[in-house]
Amino acid sequence: MIITNIETVPGKTIVEHFGLVSGSTIRAKHVGRDLMAGLKNLVGGELKGYTQLLHESRQQALERMIEQARQLGANAVVNVRFSTSSVAQGAAELYAYGTAVHVK
Amino acid sequence: MKYTPRQPGSNVNVTPTSPLREFFLLTAGLLGMVIVIYMVLGLAVDLIVPRISTDLENKMGGLFVGSIAAKDSDSKRGTHVRSLLEDLQDRCAQLPYLFKVHICQSPTMNAAALPGGHIIVYTGLLDKVASENELAFVLAHEMGHFAHRDHLRGMGRAFVFITISTLLLGTDSSISKMLANGLNLTEMSFSRKQETRADEFALETLYCDYGHVGGATDFFKKISKAEDPGTFGHYFASHPESRQRISHLENIIRSRKFKLGKRKPLPETWRQLKD
Amino acid sequence: MNNFLFFLTLIAMGYVVGTLVEKRHYRSIHEREKKFLYLPAVTMKTVNHPDQKVMSAELVCGSAVISIDYFKRLLASLRNIFGGTVKSYESLIDRARREALIRMKEMAGDATVIVNVRIETSTIGRNANKKGVGCLEAMAYGTALTLEK
Repeated sequence: MIITNIETVPGKTIVEHFGLVSGSTIRAKHVGRDLMAGLKNLVGGELKGYTQLLHESRQQALERMIEQARQLGANAVVNVRFSTSSVAQGAAELYAYGTAVHVK
Repeated sequence: MKYTPRQPGSNVNVTPTSPLREFFLLTAGLLGMVIVIYMVLGLAVDLIVPRISTDLENKMGGLFVGSIAAKDSDSKRGTHVRSLLEDLQDRCAQLPYLFKVHICQSPTMNAAALPGGHIIVYTGLLDKVASENELAFVLAHEMGHFAHRDHLRGMGRAFVFITISTLLLGTDSSISKMLANGLNLTEMSFSRKQETRADEFALETLYCDYGHVGGATDFFKKISKAEDPGTFGHYFASHPESRQRISHLENIIRSRKFKLGKRKPLPETWRQLKD
Repeated sequence: MNNFLFFLTLIAMGYVVGTLVEKRHYRSIHEREKKFLYLPAVTMKTVNHPDQKVMSAELVCGSAVISIDYFKRLLASLRNIFGGTVKSYESLIDRARREALIRMKEMAGDATVIVNVRIETSTIGRNANKKGVGCLEAMAYGTALTLEK
């Protein structure tokens, strides 16, 4: 599955499109991570726990979007956008959406 | 560009899950964690509490006393109560405490023990006691609590628990509130064992001081008439049902072959001593 | 004790009624999505052949504010202790976004295609800044093009 951030897939032509596809996920941290982050607040630096958490969320959101595109019969998703929001306390919500297309 | 309208077969964004199952799993996990921490705390408290010196406890008690001492009243009967307590302590219940008795105006038929050797006796109780033995039993019961450091144990656990939950979950969390309520329940049932042990201590003290245990169960017989905890009350009453306590005491009296003798009456002017 | 029972009643009510409301909403979403299947929404900026004439272009948007029931909220706070995917909130976000998209398409009416669709989410309500979420607002907006057939 090809995923791009631009309108086209360079080097290929889009033959047909299937509309919007999206994948979202919401993950919560656990108290262990929270404690480490709290400690890190004192000294500063990268909060590796949270980076890891958001990275996993992003992966999962992308996977879900690709899965939905595959169900529609597409083989590429173009013009993908991400959106993050905090929906619940201590949980990160990640949303990826794009257009499912068939390229040749 | 050609558009082919199609719909996806399944909803990828929602995992098919049974929320009830998840709820039970998570609650079970939380309860498990709580029980483990509780037991660890229990061990820790059992290790620490005997090492808290009475000096430290007196300092802690100072925190509570301020509000109570201000309400001290009824000095005439109070003097008599204090001298009775001193007698008991000198002759039979040698405890490393300097007990301070506070009389509190209230129709409650009860007495309470606070850290630092403070005993509160409510005037409701003073009004209802019929003999010196009965009063001595109540005082010895409170002294029993101090002997076993009961008040420190209950407080210590609850305090640490609530601190942990506040740290982890924040003060507003509904889970913290649930834990606090649940703790109140367990601490009260914990203290039922403590109450029974204090009853036994009082019985021993009474026997030692008077040579018999007449009057030990009078107090409970009086409250059991007034008490009716209802179906739920058993667990939630911090004082175990008086009937159970009476029968427990009577069992001990029988097994240890304690004698029942004549009750020593209160001073004649007791009724008029109220001010 | 009364507090606890009250709490349990709220949870039970939240679970039962909340599940019913959610099912009904999903059914309505499915129906309307099928109805609007003819009108694609894409994130690309151009889908038309350069020769095709554009009759009209207008901004369309749709938004929905969905709240969640008490049971799911409790699940989320429990989940917060142990970590992992907060499954109870997934349906909330899904419903809100799909509803917003449908309303956007409703606003478009008889357009041919909606281009450059963007979706924004935010939390509003009293609890938005503190614990838990009050309600979730999803907004979808794009340009509806009516192309010459």
